[in-house]
Amino acid sequence: MEFAAFKTAVDAWLDAQAGELAPDYAGIGSLDEQMLQLRKVFRLAYDAGFMRMGWPERVGGLGGSNLLRAYLGEALVARDVVEPGIYSMPEVLVPTLIDFAPPELAADMVPRLLSGAENWCQGFSEPGTGSNLGSLACRAEHTDAGWLVNGQKVWTSLAQYATRCVLLTRTGTPESAHRGITALFVDMDTPGITVRPIGAMHGAAEFCEVFYDDVLVPHDRLLGEVNGGWSIAMDLLPYERSTALWFRAAYMQRRLERLVAIAPEGALDPGALGEAVQLLSAFRARSRHTGRRLAAGEKIGAETSVDKVLLATAEQAVFELVAEGLGTEVLLGDDPHSRRWRAEYLYSRAASIYGGSGEIQRNIIARRLLDLGDER
Amino acid sequence: MDAEELALFRAAVTRATEAQRGEALEAALEDLGWSDALEADPASAVSVLFECQGAAHATSFALDRVLAGALGARRDPATLEAVVLPRLREHGAPGHLDGDRCTVHGLGTAAMARAGRVLVVAQGTAGSGHVMAHLDAGTLELRAVHGLDPDLGLVEVTGAFEAGAADPLPESDGWDGAVALGQLALGHELVGAARTMLDLARLHALGRIQFGRPIATFQAVRHRLAESLVAVESAAGLLAAAWEDPSPATAAMAKGFAGRSARTVAKHAQQVLAGVGFTTEHPLHEFVRRTLVLDQLLGAGSVLTKELGREVLRSGSLPAALPL
Repeated sequence: MEFAAFKTAVDAWLDAQAGELAPDYAGIGSLDEQMLQLRKVFRLAYDAGFMRMGWPERVGGLGGSNLLRAYLGEALVARDVVEPGIYSMPEVLVPTLIDFAPPELAADMVPRLLSGAENWCQGFSEPGTGSNLGSLACRAEHTDAGWLVNGQKVWTSLAQYATRCVLLTRTGTPESAHRGITALFVDMDTPGITVRPIGAMHGAAEFCEVFYDDVLVPHDRLLGEVNGGWSIAMDLLPYERSTALWFRAAYMQRRLERLVAIAPEGALDPGALGEAVQLLSAFRARSRHTGRRLAAGEKIGAETSVDKVLLATAEQAVFELVAEGLGTEVLLGDDPHSRRWRAEYLYSRAASIYGGSGEIQRNIIARRLLDLGDER
Repeated sequence: MDAEELALFRAAVTRATEAQRGEALEAALEDLGWSDALEADPASAVSVLFECQGAAHATSFALDRVLAGALGARRDPATLEAVVLPRLREHGAPGHLDGDRCTVHGLGTAAMARAGRVLVVAQGTAGSGHVMAHLDAGTLELRAVHGLDPDLGLVEVTGAFEAGAADPLPESDGWDGAVALGQLALGHELVGAARTMLDLARLHALGRIQFGRPIATFQAVRHRLAESLVAVESAAGLLAAAWEDPSPATAAMAKGFAGRSARTVAKHAQQVLAGVGFTTEHPLHEFVRRTLVLDQLLGAGSVLTKELGREVLRSGSLPAALPL
């Protein structure tokens, strides 16, 4: 389907289904409510065919470019139907399955995620491994029965809701660094997995600690090559910084519009507001450019670190304004809408931390885009 | 222009702006067909030339050409017609219509001192229509401005003329539309200057050895340069998007953002280049000067940014989001 026709069809569907798609809670809802809403929206959009657009047919999609996915997510976020972070789950995980899973596994699994039947998570970071992914320690040993996994992950988003996990494990020696990492596709109900959600500043315990004690993963759940996990992580990260970030542009636009509509007279500084609008527009232009490059079949890579830095700058500028203009709601309010503003303001503090911190993005820009050589 | 033509055009303009200044650059641009390109494909002509001009610290008469063209002035290769610019920080018409007199207080580019004719746009009370007059050179008083950036060749323009010499300007291709094109041009020039400042700082960081290693290995330096690249690329992206709908609002936003971005790069480049960049033996200072002036021509970045915020507050809505 071509883009214009898709857009028209999505808009018409969203209008017709507005009642059914709308969340049944006010404000931001609890994380449980958000996840139920997410699955409902995935199911409705999948049944209508839209959620399958932009994904290849061999994983149950209906084909077409990533721009179709970008528009669907933008439209859902702009209508306040879904929260952009959790909605990005397929953007972050499906490309990995497409590129690295055995074809029959990908064909079996991807529709479960896209149809809202399952949630998935991504087990990368560890207590001793945040930005320095190459140092991860969670071990997987090759046995006749499968891969035996022992270790701990942290910051695993939504693990308590997840049925599957794309897990990075250490299969080489501890010194093998990025050369000794292997990716596995793990069922979260396997014996030996313990999930502990971590309370977070913005009020939703969406990050978890996940413990793996003698967890047996079948051989056919290997993603890519043994000791080839690093290239999977590298392949995935630019996806995390393309279509998924585009959804956040729609979110910021909507929330800034709302802020302008309800902020008390004189509460917003025109200069700061103008800067936030400029940053948001510049981010949108940048992210669209990245999406178009992806659609044209270009390989995207380190340039997306610019997108991530710009996103964090824009999102923090927008929510600085929220804290200024809606001080009463953010600081004192206890109704659902105030709680939402407060949660969103607090979550914006993490925009320069998650998905590769601002410092890591600048390191990548310095080494890969400015060609400044190694740090020492 | 298709991609191949654009690459050839860019190469030719780069050569011209690196080798020539002022009238010689004007002649070189005429030879390579820039004026024709301005009519056929203004987005390419303006973005390529002004970015190259900014990168090379060149001066041309192109801003006057862009503004005169947008104001509907007939192009006459034999006579250079300069356009009176608003005063610093402002973007309203430089002429003020009061009864049968029109007083002028504005600025001119390097073209002004060499122009055979001068184009002035004036307005009566705010909100009333604009008028435009083509005056003979010498009608208005010119004072050479040396100031912060003597190489730019700015002049201060003052004087008055009979209102009867002016004709109404159709609002369709009126002052605001011309300013929008001029702002896009200056935005690209700021991006060009910023790219060169980043490049100069980068080369210095790679070559300057301290504590036995290039200062480019220090994270504090790397992050300044990375931040500069983000500033340059985001300004360039917003300018490119503005050409899809070059309205006064999108152009003002892109120019305001480009000004702030270029000043960010100037700050970081100055710090990375440190003592060397503070000397007149290194070219950085020329770009720092140019950046500050360009930021305040045809609407200062700070003014445009505040105006954008005020307009959002007044209308209660954001500018239309860029469509996919």
